[in-house]
Amino acid sequence: MREVVKSLPLHIHPEEKVRRNDFFVEKEDDVIGRLAAIRIEKEDTLPDIARHFSLGINTVSAANPGIDIWVPEVGERILLPLSFILPDTPRKGIVINLAAMRLFYFKKAGKLLAVSTYPVGIGTTERPTPMGQMYVKRKKIRPTWYVPASIAEDHREKGDPLPAKVPPGPLNPLGEYALYLSNSGYLVHGTNKPASIGLRATNGCIRLYPEDIERLFENAPVKTPVSIVNQPYLVGQRDGIIYIEAHKPFEESGIAELKRTYAKLRNIEKKSGHALDWKKVGKVMGEARGFPVPVFDINRGSEKVAAETIKLWHPGKLYGKPEIPELQTDAWYVLAATLRDKVDALRLAAIINHQGPPIPARVLSTSDRYRVLAGPFKNRREAKDAAKRLKIDLEIDGILVEPIKEGEPIAPLLSRSSSLNY
Amino acid sequence: MKKSLLMISIMLALAIALGGCATKGDLEEVQAREKAIGAKADQAAQDAEDAKAAADQAVKKADEAVARAEEAERRAMERERIAAEKERIAEEKARMAEEKAKQAEAAFQKSMKK
Repeated sequence: MREVVKSLPLHIHPEEKVRRNDFFVEKEDDVIGRLAAIRIEKEDTLPDIARHFSLGINTVSAANPGIDIWVPEVGERILLPLSFILPDTPRKGIVINLAAMRLFYFKKAGKLLAVSTYPVGIGTTERPTPMGQMYVKRKKIRPTWYVPASIAEDHREKGDPLPAKVPPGPLNPLGEYALYLSNSGYLVHGTNKPASIGLRATNGCIRLYPEDIERLFENAPVKTPVSIVNQPYLVGQRDGIIYIEAHKPFEESGIAELKRTYAKLRNIEKKSGHALDWKKVGKVMGEARGFPVPVFDINRGSEKVAAETIKLWHPGKLYGKPEIPELQTDAWYVLAATLRDKVDALRLAAIINHQGPPIPARVLSTSDRYRVLAGPFKNRREAKDAAKRLKIDLEIDGILVEPIKEGEPIAPLLSRSSSLNY
Repeated sequence: MKKSLLMISIMLALAIALGGCATKGDLEEVQAREKAIGAKADQAAQDAEDAKAAADQAVKKADEAVARAEEAERRAMERERIAAEKERIAEEKARMAEEKAKQAEAAFQKSMKK
């Protein structure tokens, strides 16, 4: 039999080609990593792509404006902002830039400086993450969550009272690892809601993906200094090229940071003796797409150019993507919604799938409607718990669907539907 | 008196006698002339009628052209109105879709809190 050799285009690379977390920092450089791009495949969501490449949903959506987070079109090219400007701080210990929602852990590696970087979730506007200098006071594997009074009160108001403490396990929002900071009550921890990385969703703590906190936990010892800053506009250089990285500033920090950045750029312009393209600078600042953009070549005429975006093959299976068990006629389900619009139904199913802990959900299509069905659940209690979570977290009034009894004609819900497997 | 009456009678008789002297040829000529003029008049009348009919036809054509133009304009306006309506509906749908996506995202973000 003749062997068929599948040739791959040379300009597209396997995903291993791109670095996600670990870099060496050259003495003069402030910019690490390379931008990459990937094409959307069926059933992808941006949070799944973000997690696979160790990015927060904030940066992936900012870098790809106009693309539906939950139901992106198949074939659309997604920019992966895997290049970062280091915050303007001493390069020591853990540095967290709130505006970028990114943590940097600096560590000496012989004569070189290594940095590991991870996306984070941070505090809400009402309960912001505190800024300043602190350190890792202690570390704990499988931590217990002692529910703070303010959070207990919030949950009571929602009709979801919490126990005084939550033991390790899938319901524990701290995940499997925690670094307790010297600033009392604040932690760097894992999460049972990985889709929240890149959102302002915590009560002031710093959340990491489960796989990232595990690595940070292993590497960062007790007493590691921690610096928390808020720098929405970053200026840095690599190979003589000046880059700007702009993030949408928090309401309270925008103008002062903008002034500081413009002063820094004017200084660079003055020192170099060449005029800066201020129009381009303004555009980058205004668009705030969250990745480094080259704006200026200090040594004009040099042959160095900004690194190109690496085009990557889709990995096939995305790491951490919620899995949906097969439909079973002897299981319980919760009918979350019946919708006329397919995209609305797919979006809702995806959102339910990305709850923490995940609730499996899929779309069943009939001739003119789309049913969003959560499940399968082993028993009535599990289904009721899921319905309760849907009500509390997403304000969805789900309907319990009983298993099909033996000999019973198959209900229309399962028989005349086709699953879209989202 | 008798003499005067005689004189008048003679003159009358003379006049009558002289009038009766027109020839048959003269009569035929007069008749031919009348006929020719009549035909001419008929022709003129016909020509006038034809001209009027032609004018009426032209007016009718012009009216039809105006009507067609008005109909075309009406249809164009209708098409424009339908296109504008479709555009408005599409915009409204896009706005609603965006709004729904935003609402879903807001609900999701809320659900991600502890």
